Amino acid sequence: MEARLMQPEQFQQTFNRLEAEVQKVIVGHNDLIRKILIAFFAGGHVLLEGVPGLGKTLLVKALTHALGMSFKRIQFTPDLMPSDIVGTEVLTDTSGRREFQFKKGPIFAHVVLADEINRATPKTQSAVLEAMEEKQVTVFGESHVLASPFIVLATQNPIELEGTYPLPEAQLDRFFFKLLVMPPAPPELREILKRTTGAEIPDAGRVLPDDNGDLVNAMKQLLRQVMIAPPIEDYVVRLVHATQQDGQNGGAARTTIKQYIRFGSSPRGAQAIILGAKGNALVEGRVHVSYEDVEKITLPALRHRIILNFQAEAENITADQVIGEVMKQVPRQ
Amino acid sequence: MQATPHAQERSAAEILLDRLAAKLSQHALWDTLLLIVPPFGAAIYALAILFRGATVDTWAIGIIVMLAFAGTVGATMVRYRRSAPEIPQVAELADRQSGAKDHFLTLATLPSGNYPVSFILRLRRESSAFGNRIEIKRDFPYKIKGSAYGSMAASLLAVLLIQLIAPVVRGGTRVAPVEARLHQLADKMATKPQLKSLARQLEALAAKLEDPKATVQEKQQLAEQVEKQIEQQQKQENTQENRNLLGEASGALEGAEQQVASAQSRNEQQKGGGGIQSNLPQKGEGESKESQGAGAGQEDSKTQSNSDIQQGNAGTPKPNQPAQDKNPQQGETADRNQTDPNQANKDPDKEQAGKTQNGSKEGAGKQQASDQPPPQGVAPADRLYPSGEGKQGLQGAGYVTVQLPEEIAAEGKFESRPSKDSKGGRSRSQIPVSNVPLPAHIPNAASEKQQLPLEYRGMIR
Repeated sequence: MEARLMQPEQFQQTFNRLEAEVQKVIVGHNDLIRKILIAFFAGGHVLLEGVPGLGKTLLVKALTHALGMSFKRIQFTPDLMPSDIVGTEVLTDTSGRREFQFKKGPIFAHVVLADEINRATPKTQSAVLEAMEEKQVTVFGESHVLASPFIVLATQNPIELEGTYPLPEAQLDRFFFKLLVMPPAPPELREILKRTTGAEIPDAGRVLPDDNGDLVNAMKQLLRQVMIAPPIEDYVVRLVHATQQDGQNGGAARTTIKQYIRFGSSPRGAQAIILGAKGNALVEGRVHVSYEDVEKITLPALRHRIILNFQAEAENITADQVIGEVMKQVPRQ
Repeated sequence: MQATPHAQERSAAEILLDRLAAKLSQHALWDTLLLIVPPFGAAIYALAILFRGATVDTWAIGIIVMLAFAGTVGATMVRYRRSAPEIPQVAELADRQSGAKDHFLTLATLPSGNYPVSFILRLRRESSAFGNRIEIKRDFPYKIKGSAYGSMAASLLAVLLIQLIAPVVRGGTRVAPVEARLHQLADKMATKPQLKSLARQLEALAAKLEDPKATVQEKQQLAEQVEKQIEQQQKQENTQENRNLLGEASGALEGAEQQVASAQSRNEQQKGGGGIQSNLPQKGEGESKESQGAGAGQEDSKTQSNSDIQQGNAGTPKPNQPAQDKNPQQGETADRNQTDPNQANKDPDKEQAGKTQNGSKEGAGKQQASDQPPPQGVAPADRLYPSGEGKQGLQGAGYVTVQLPEEIAAEGKFESRPSKDSKGGRSRSQIPVSNVPLPAHIPNAASEKQQLPLEYRGMIR
């Protein structure tokens, strides 16, 4: 294990180069880019939420170019069928012999962009989400393993909710991070205009080599080796525990939090926090997790895992506000 | 320390953490001591004040002190354990001080064996680099906390309060009377061969104190005698136990003397009447008072001063005294003769006879006066009636005038010498004063005006 382990410096260098290449295309959103990359090396999937035109699709494309991996985009519509995603058996005629052959769907790519995922029916959504979790699909009783590394970057529009099928909580939980794509600030907007309205439109260069599977896997392995002190693990546990309502694993949400929460975070939330924190530590050149890493990761890791109740909606309380309150109320030690 | 991946290769950071933990533990111990010791001291002081002079056995005091000490030690240990920093807290402090990002915390708490050695070595290296920024003496100096100041202030306040209320409380706690204490001490001292004679004397003193017929002077004298012997014995004594016993006896004797002195002052207060004298003829009793006054010069100075204080103006120096100061005993006698008009009217031979009669005994009449127990429960007016007159009236009293002592003193300045003239021609300084109410039907009293009571003077003037 020790011999094959990538050096932390190498990880940091590669990561920084990837960031830099994506930032050539995407103006601003540095934090967003970093968290997508962390989720990628942690083996998770990302849900991007933002209004149209903020560069979500461009971001994913730039990332794919930098990674040098196969990329497929699926535009989710209400009439999209699961077979359109995972693939299907088709009758083929090869040398006079007819047989069913599996035709792979777009899910068989390293990077899959599920654009406006909430516009597809739950049946289709489920097909994608199953692939996300199992890293394989089963068609006509035959399992097909997905490409490795594999990441789904789904987007959804917070407006125009008519005719959409919001993702159920169980499916939301499969996403490692939920990232909010915010409109650019004026300086960033100026830079966007400069870059996109000129004669040359910049493109992200390739960072990873062609045969990059081993390299990415080594980076993933290194990320999981990052050390975390027991008090910091306890802090993560307390954070997640504090989001849980009474009756849900004996949760201990404070009154100010409890009144807005219908369901708290699942253990997947804690897993996401710790893996994300480890990734953040490596990116910052450390081989151990600090409290700051945890605090940076908590919001994107928990915001889609906390289901707010009607009172929160009525009072316009967001999940981010609730998590912020949780972090205020839960001491580090 | 919980995490020592390779204990045999302790890095500078881990050593620093250990040193820092020890230092902070010391700080916690000091904090605890400064918080708990002042109340303990105050409690010991309170006990010492409350039980001072009380008959409490040494072993009981020892047990109380031991219990208090044990309680203090227990409280100190409990608080110290609660306040002593644990390794994660120490590591966090080190991280904060050095600007590290939880390097020390991870190093101190990481379970061994789960992580690559290269990572641990790297963490140690980085932590040691951060550790170089820390100088324990400079970065973690000991500062007295506010709680310690509060504890000290509260303890001082308690001591002051105890000092104020101790006399009140001590009255309640001093259950054993002096006589009983003397008996107890005599019993204890009787067991020591060197102190047997003193024990017998203490017994005798206790018996004397309990004897209602014994005069105050006798008690006083015996107490002083025993005290002197105890002092001598204390000087000679080598054994600590005996010395303690003698110290206790000395303390008890002081209490006995105080008791006797207070009894004496009570008696004199009842006799003399608060610094106001009467011109009523005092037969017998007046003479005995005079004799007592004459003999008072030979009394112990302590007793004399007590008497002076209780008698108020009786001992106040007068302008005519300087001439008599050469012979204090005579001067005092003369002074008393001057201030008491009854004596001026009396036959000097009779007075001399009385003195001689009393003077045959020791103390020039003091003993005689002391032999007669002071009248108890009788109003001063009743006692001052001439014999044979009783409550029927003050026919024998020519006048009764009340004069304040400061007026006597002020007027005395203008007179070079007191006169012993007749009633009508006497100067104001010689006017006797009395606290006896003036009956309305005294015929001679009409010519003289009774001076206004003090509280009305300001109004009239």
